Amino acid sequence: MTTRENSALRADGFTKTYRRVRALDGVSFGVRPGEVLGLIGPNGAGKTTLFECLAGVLPLDAGTLRHGDRLVSLTDRASLIFYMPDGIAPWSAQRLRWALDFTIGFFGGEAEGRDAVVRELDLAPLLDAPIGTLSKGQRKRALLGIGLLTPHPFLLVDEPFDGLDLRQTREVAGVLRAHASAGRTLFLSIHQIADAERVCDRFVLLSGGRVRGEGTLQELKGQASDRGPERAAPPGPANLEEVFLALT
Amino acid sequence: MPRVRGGTFRPAFVWLLAKEWRELMASRAWWVMLAAMGPLVGVSFISAMRTYAEVSGLGGTAAGVGEALSPLVGIWAPTFSACEIAAAFLLPFVAIRLVDRQSGALKLEVQHRMSPLARITAKAIVLLAGWLVAMAAPLVAILLWKLYGGVAYPPELATIAAGHLLNAGLTVALAAAAAALTDHPSTAAIATLSVTVGTWIVNFIAAVQGGVWERAAGYTPTAMVAEFQHGLVRADVVLIALALVGGGLSVAAIWIRLGVRASRRAFESVAVGLVTAIVIVACSFARASADMSENRMNSFSERDETALRQIHAPLKIEAHLAAEDPRRVDLEHRALSKLRRVMPNLSVDYVSSTSIGLFEQTSAHYGEIWYDLGGKRTMSRVTTAEGVLEAIYELAGVRAPEGDDDVFRGHPLAVPPTGAPLIFYVSWPALVLAAAFLVRR
Repeated sequence: MTTRENSALRADGFTKTYRRVRALDGVSFGVRPGEVLGLIGPNGAGKTTLFECLAGVLPLDAGTLRHGDRLVSLTDRASLIFYMPDGIAPWSAQRLRWALDFTIGFFGGEAEGRDAVVRELDLAPLLDAPIGTLSKGQRKRALLGIGLLTPHPFLLVDEPFDGLDLRQTREVAGVLRAHASAGRTLFLSIHQIADAERVCDRFVLLSGGRVRGEGTLQELKGQASDRGPERAAPPGPANLEEVFLALT
Repeated sequence: MPRVRGGTFRPAFVWLLAKEWRELMASRAWWVMLAAMGPLVGVSFISAMRTYAEVSGLGGTAAGVGEALSPLVGIWAPTFSACEIAAAFLLPFVAIRLVDRQSGALKLEVQHRMSPLARITAKAIVLLAGWLVAMAAPLVAILLWKLYGGVAYPPELATIAAGHLLNAGLTVALAAAAAALTDHPSTAAIATLSVTVGTWIVNFIAAVQGGVWERAAGYTPTAMVAEFQHGLVRADVVLIALALVGGGLSVAAIWIRLGVRASRRAFESVAVGLVTAIVIVACSFARASADMSENRMNSFSERDETALRQIHAPLKIEAHLAAEDPRRVDLEHRALSKLRRVMPNLSVDYVSSTSIGLFEQTSAHYGEIWYDLGGKRTMSRVTTAEGVLEAIYELAGVRAPEGDDDVFRGHPLAVPPTGAPLIFYVSWPALVLAAAFLVRR
């Protein structure tokens, strides 16, 4: 069975140019339902651009997005995909408690899930703090909470572990896996390969605006081997870091 | 789509309105504007009150001078002019803040399938509600005026308040469009203030050049507010202002669609601009108007208006007066603006070869005002309302109506504004600061 046949969401030929810089160059990949897909790439690989184009908050130069067999318009994305950018401080003067309620009310999330998300991400001590006063790690957890409370089947999170310490990273990885197990499809942009290995089922390797590989760790290792012995990852248990270096 | 929260259903639009209101309450710019409104209105009101009291006889002014006083011109026009200053220089900063492209909130909110126009409309509604709160300052002035024993005529107060609300709507639409078009609030602020200064330049050129500029200047916010401040509601002015508000908000709605290509958004903006221009041209032909002033300052006497309505032939007036000639200003304001309201078939041409007219005085025809009514012509040099009416009645063969309507005697009030400085300069800012502290805590 090919990736295309399994894909709930399929991006084809995503291309985006900023003036003379080609940020995305014919990017194609699939997202399967209920999986945690990791978008792996170094800084400047085009990860954020790809997410923004997928979510429809940045115009594409070329490319199509399909959900099953259906072409997804810009309007359709609003009920299909939710994108949580990195490094933002939305509604900074408002308390986190209100932001979570607003997310549920405005986007139509499940009010019943609010307490669980607060508990999972340890947000209770932050509920009465204005979002603008939260530290980087606290804000990251708050933004993840907002993202997890939206009802969209596909959740895109840019750098979900950025700003979190080791313990928090492990806890958040567990929370994300639990939500994926409950049926939510997660697509995470991660530049720390060790973090990605911990949480993702499959990976899309992006470098220089191009997809260099797509699949599970084993599949990627196979792709690296196919490109010749000089590019193959070292023998032994598959390691995403080495596979990434081999494929990019 | 209804949303669940605490067992109640609220549409997304209501959530957005509530969010915008909370953001407004959290906005320092709005609280600063609110705090500034007290002193701004206060200085205008107190100054106007003092002048009004002196003219009304306080301090030994000649008896009877105050009888012609109208609170609309003497008190409310200057008092409400503070709102014009706030709308031009303070409100843009409040409005720009609400199209927030910096914090990332817009990127989250645009992922709801709500139409961008509905999104912008929610922002505009909340901003105008915030503006109405700020207009509590002139309301305090009205209450003080009543406490001092002044007479207030509600229709003219409602007219002047509506004019300033419409002016605020123009500012909000302009600021929203600028904020949506630009990446940074400071750029949006510069763009908004540039447009405001641009309208002043149009007014200046109109005063010098006349002609098309003069017609265009009639629809600038300054000119629009001036008409409302004189108690005049013109359909063309209201419709054009609403068209501009609609156009500005539509452009803002186009540009907050972050996922649409800039070239397409630019094309759509040009289309909105063209449609708005067509609507504006169409609206400029609307002739309906209402004089809401108590002293009918925008109208001839009722007897004269009845007589003028019996004249159906087209009337052409050719005035040989330069744009900056004071006689032309007199002619326009004392006679022609009133004449346009009762004679829809009136056309006016100003003829001059210079803008100030100083060096045309020796020209034989300079200063002549030619009247052509259905082919019959006459000439006069009189620029007063009486002179203009006399010329028209003579051409039409209509007898000038005799007798006077009830003459407006004015509402003199020889009372100083006792306590007003304390209220506007101390109590108002203190209350606003206390409210800001409590709300933003």
